[in-house]
Amino acid sequence: MGLDVLFKIAGVGILISVFHIALKQAGKEDMAQICAIAGFAMVLLWVVQILGRLFNTMQDVFKLF
Amino acid sequence: MWLKLAGSVCVVAAGASIGFKLAMRLCERPRQIGQVISCLAALKSYINYVTMPLPEALKKCTGGMRGPVADFFHRTAQILEERGWVTPGEAIEEVLASSSGELALGRHEHEILCVLGANLGLVNREEQYKYIGMVEGQLRMIEQEAARLRDQNMKMYRYLGICGSLIIVILLI
Repeated sequence: MGLDVLFKIAGVGILISVFHIALKQAGKEDMAQICAIAGFAMVLLWVVQILGRLFNTMQDVFKLF
Repeated sequence: MWLKLAGSVCVVAAGASIGFKLAMRLCERPRQIGQVISCLAALKSYINYVTMPLPEALKKCTGGMRGPVADFFHRTAQILEERGWVTPGEAIEEVLASSSGELALGRHEHEILCVLGANLGLVNREEQYKYIGMVEGQLRMIEQEAARLRDQNMKMYRYLGICGSLIIVILLI
């Protein structure tokens, strides 16, 4: 896995914030909101996958269930 | 690695070019509306004071102007000269349909020009003069609105083009 995902999340965060500012300055507050939510959902998908892997590893390590 | 880098550069270049193209079109719109207004002012004078035939007036009203707007008036004049049975309205509609890619005019301007064409050459000089004046006024209002939209959205399209392509690159890598 490495640090790739962290850098990806940081990159997406920076770009989404630029999106948000550009759309807000253009008077499209609703689109800016939707864009921020879409970015959040995208990052959440990655994080959920990583968390799932973490829980599987914990199950294997501690022999749970 | 190099293949990924080359692909990423291509995606960013494509996204940025789309964004810049949209921004350019937005920037071009008020300029073209201004050109149409100045052509109509000249056309008004040619119709009312010089009583010039319509195809000739349409050719001369561009007054050395170049670009898609001048081409629009020239092509309309050409159609009217070549095919005598075509009405000015039909000629304008035909040229607008064929040059919609070059002209950065919106739906409102298209409608106004079509209505102008429908009334051109059908009524007497004074009525045409009044009608073109009214169309000029409408186009001035649209020009102001287009300039406001340009100031508001030009930067946004550029940012969205570049940042959108960067997000696609991040997602694909």
